[in-house]
Amino acid sequence: MTELALVTRFEKHRARVRHAALWVRLAAAAAIAAFALTTPGFLTPLSLNALFTAISFVGCVAVGMTFITLTGNIMSLALGATVSASALMFLATLSFGIIPAFLLTVLFAVIITGLQGFLVGHFRANPILVSIAALSLLLGGAAFVTGGHRIYPAGEGLAMFKGRIAGIPKEALCFFATVLAGQFILSWTRVGRLMSMVGSNFRAATAAGIDAAMIITAAYVIAGACAAVSGVLLAARYGSGDMELGAGYDYTAIAAVLVGGTGISGGSGSTLRTLVGVTVIAIIEVVLLLRGFSEQLQYLITGLIVLAVIMLHAAGEKR
Amino acid sequence: MTLKAAITALVAAKVRPFTIVLGAVVVLGLIDGGSGYFFSVGTLFSVMQLFATLGLVALGLGLSMLVREFDLSVAGIFSLAGCIAVMTGATNPWLGAALGVAAGVMSGLIQGVIMTQLNLSSVGVTLGGLLTLQGMTYVLSGNQTVSYPNMAVALGLNAPFAHLFSIRSAVALAVFVLAALAMAFTHIGRDVIATGSDRRASRTAGLNTDRVLIAVFIASGALSALAGVLLSYSLGAASPVGLSDVLAPAAAAAIVGGVSVVGGRGSPAGIAAGVLTLCILRSGLSAIGVPPYVHDLVTGAILLFIAVLDAPELARHITAWRLDRAERRAQALARNSI
Repeated sequence: MTELALVTRFEKHRARVRHAALWVRLAAAAAIAAFALTTPGFLTPLSLNALFTAISFVGCVAVGMTFITLTGNIMSLALGATVSASALMFLATLSFGIIPAFLLTVLFAVIITGLQGFLVGHFRANPILVSIAALSLLLGGAAFVTGGHRIYPAGEGLAMFKGRIAGIPKEALCFFATVLAGQFILSWTRVGRLMSMVGSNFRAATAAGIDAAMIITAAYVIAGACAAVSGVLLAARYGSGDMELGAGYDYTAIAAVLVGGTGISGGSGSTLRTLVGVTVIAIIEVVLLLRGFSEQLQYLITGLIVLAVIMLHAAGEKR
Repeated sequence: MTLKAAITALVAAKVRPFTIVLGAVVVLGLIDGGSGYFFSVGTLFSVMQLFATLGLVALGLGLSMLVREFDLSVAGIFSLAGCIAVMTGATNPWLGAALGVAAGVMSGLIQGVIMTQLNLSSVGVTLGGLLTLQGMTYVLSGNQTVSYPNMAVALGLNAPFAHLFSIRSAVALAVFVLAALAMAFTHIGRDVIATGSDRRASRTAGLNTDRVLIAVFIASGALSALAGVLLSYSLGAASPVGLSDVLAPAAAAAIVGGVSVVGGRGSPAGIAAGVLTLCILRSGLSAIGVPPYVHDLVTGAILLFIAVLDAPELARHITAWRLDRAERRAQALARNSI
């Protein structure tokens, strides 16, 4: 057999594998949809609203996490704590008014997360280690500042985050806006488009004259802003806060990112995929709840499905 | 120059974990200033108790990092094994412990096989594993704290002997010694380091890297399970929540202990030193009466320092800065001489 024929055969085989993976994915999506639509009570406004509200908090974090994963930095273990700290910051600065408090909160989270991005980007420090360090510093710093007490709002105006516009909860609208803003950055801005390049091959990107360190810092800055949005929404929802508010969000967020199909090794992904991932996880949870599974079984089944979906994606992307 | 050489030797990768431990002891000793709160048998005992909880998990996670993977599921196995042991070991603690550790072995085996057969990265698989194991713990425990009626076991495990140790911490230490011996004197250590340093080259050289990987994940599962079993027995209770905050400290301990995240570097002795550092900081700081948040701040600062120190680009940045300075100095000299 000639070399060319071999190559053609190889490419045909690859296309077939990719095709098969696509069909499996479509079948999985159809199965989830059928499962959801045949569940009594799923399509009621009440349950849909609950679904939308439930996904918005962790969804914003997942959008931020997408940028970290996409640029080749796996995940951050500090985003959950950043969410909590942002919520505390927002509640404490509410006395200046809603908008200044919001801006201060975003600034705070952007600085904290951006500094981590600077260390990761400029010095190539290990992202997981940096995030664990940041987690420790955030927990310690928050305990020092708050003395371990709950923080209550220092001003009025939290009510403006509650309620619905056109029947959709405001929290969900904020989340969708975050997704769209993230996708806009990734698809339409220079920095965003370079992110997947830096993520797939840092050295090649640097060799091509790209300021990869700046790109990574930018990705972390965006992640910080997303965490701040989540923190503000949580603060408004619960009316008070402590460092437990966003605890565990890191794991749910990275699970949503991976379920959506963003590759863990970086270089490919989008916030729209993350939206799909967040929605799939949320639908599974709501369906299990409506079908009367106990809370414990919900955790177990969700975990198994996440594991299965991650395996599915990775098997589909295999060389 | 000898001072510089000494410092270089002290921060060399293989020695650094022990330097950090010594540094922590000296600094805390100086702060304590001879008041005897820090250098007391009680503090040392509590250091060893913390070591027993954190050490084995850090060893398991560290082993997975040695082969250039990252086993997130250690936290899940830790809770699940504790739950299993408490629920099955009321009359026969050995049975409960065996079942708990067996669960860890199974979870490591399954995840290892999935990873090697489907050629997947460990972060994804063990993240799914972590969520699944947490779910299993919730199901088993019915989402509430399960108490362990056999208080004799709890008291026996924690009873001090030789002033410093309990059975629990002695078990942890013994496992560390075994691991260090196995890594140093059998082909296991060589295989693990080779797999972590360059997997493709090891495979070409005839090493079955898949088998090494699966073995490492089995070991990691078994070690975390053992830690969970021992802790749950000694607390006399297991709960699905609360135990899960073990991942970040364990990773921190492994990294302070000189395990490199890019694989192929690290040793059980180093990991032990890393764990000791964190434990000494935690109980030492509380012994000399500083508020608990200082512990978080100090740990965070040390981790950040190590992260930057180990960063591959740091040396390049410093060199560039030095050259820059030297050049400017030379220019200034040239100007002055004119």
